[in-house]
Amino acid sequence: MPNGTIPAAPLSPAVLALLLSLAESDKHGYQMMKDARSPQGGGLQLGPGTLYGSLDRMMRDGLVKESGISDDERRRYYRLTRQGRTVLTAELERLDAAMRSARAQGLIPQRGRS
Amino acid sequence: MTARSLSRLEFLYALAVCAYPRSFREAHAAAMRQVFRDALADNDFPRLRFLLIALRDFATSLLKEHLAMMRDTLTRPALAFNALVLAGIATVLALFLYAIPQQVLRQGANDPQLQLAGDLAGKLEDGATPAEAVPATKVDMARSLAPFVNLYDDQGHPLLSQGVLNGATPAPPKGVFDYLRSHAEDRVTWQMWNGPHRVRIAAVVLRVQRVGDSGPGFVLAGRSLVQVEAREEQVRQMAALAWIAMLGMILLGAIGFGWWTRKAA
Repeated sequence: MPNGTIPAAPLSPAVLALLLSLAESDKHGYQMMKDARSPQGGGLQLGPGTLYGSLDRMMRDGLVKESGISDDERRRYYRLTRQGRTVLTAELERLDAAMRSARAQGLIPQRGRS
Repeated sequence: MTARSLSRLEFLYALAVCAYPRSFREAHAAAMRQVFRDALADNDFPRLRFLLIALRDFATSLLKEHLAMMRDTLTRPALAFNALVLAGIATVLALFLYAIPQQVLRQGANDPQLQLAGDLAGKLEDGATPAEAVPATKVDMARSLAPFVNLYDDQGHPLLSQGVLNGATPAPPKGVFDYLRSHAEDRVTWQMWNGPHRVRIAAVVLRVQRVGDSGPGFVLAGRSLVQVEAREEQVRQMAALAWIAMLGMILLGAIGFGWWTRKAA
């Protein structure tokens, strides 16, 4: 951990969306914004201030880092760290447990068996 | 939207980004401007919708980043410790600012009664009868600010009085007279109720060896504390204002110093 502490679950929607986006590959700011906007990314309408504010805190917490590789000097690419992946996995497991519980209570439909 | 309009929007956004805290701006302003440009250039994303999102995002994230900067600044241990010490000193100072004038006012409220009680005791000791020594005019303790004198016998029962409440002569708590059997003088705040209204009297009580033909007794001189309490309330409000102002200055000083030292770092 560089400076911060490991964020406790639950993560904010913005942090979760950014971690999910970076889980795929290194990305720059606008790509992450687009991913967050997509239904798979959480359907979040992030603006540049929230995006970089979240990235700032995530870097401080050691969840992401700058990749140092860029195809354009005006664009910075970010990469998920091992710590970030661990936090993302923990959060997804927490959400998965909540979903299972919700299904068991009949709050959402059961998934079909394949 | 024309290229010129887009470039104007980018210019406006670049100006808006200047409002973020310096450290945040230095780290992310260029990237934020690039994201803004990318979003405007994205034909799949309606520009008006993005502009509304960017506007809302600017307002919320600006506040959030300034609050985060202030929290980071104020939670620096040395700065927080110094600010807390100064706040403690300011609190003690404010307490003194209230307590000292309050005591001066309260003690000063006894001055006329000291003179009146002493004069009355002197007259009685010299052989004057209660009727000669006590003025005939009545003073309504609930309404009048005038000082008054009352005489009590050795058991604490009223003999003759100037000060009345609801037409009767109230007697101070028995403990006051008990105290005076072994002391020459007592200065008390005498509190009574006139219906729902509280009446507070600054009283000086003396023991005298002779009250006319009744043997020893007590002389009480008092006056209403209404005006003194009004002044005490003014002092309390001024001390509270001074305290709030001092805390405000300490907070501003801490923020300013924190900001300045961050900038210099």
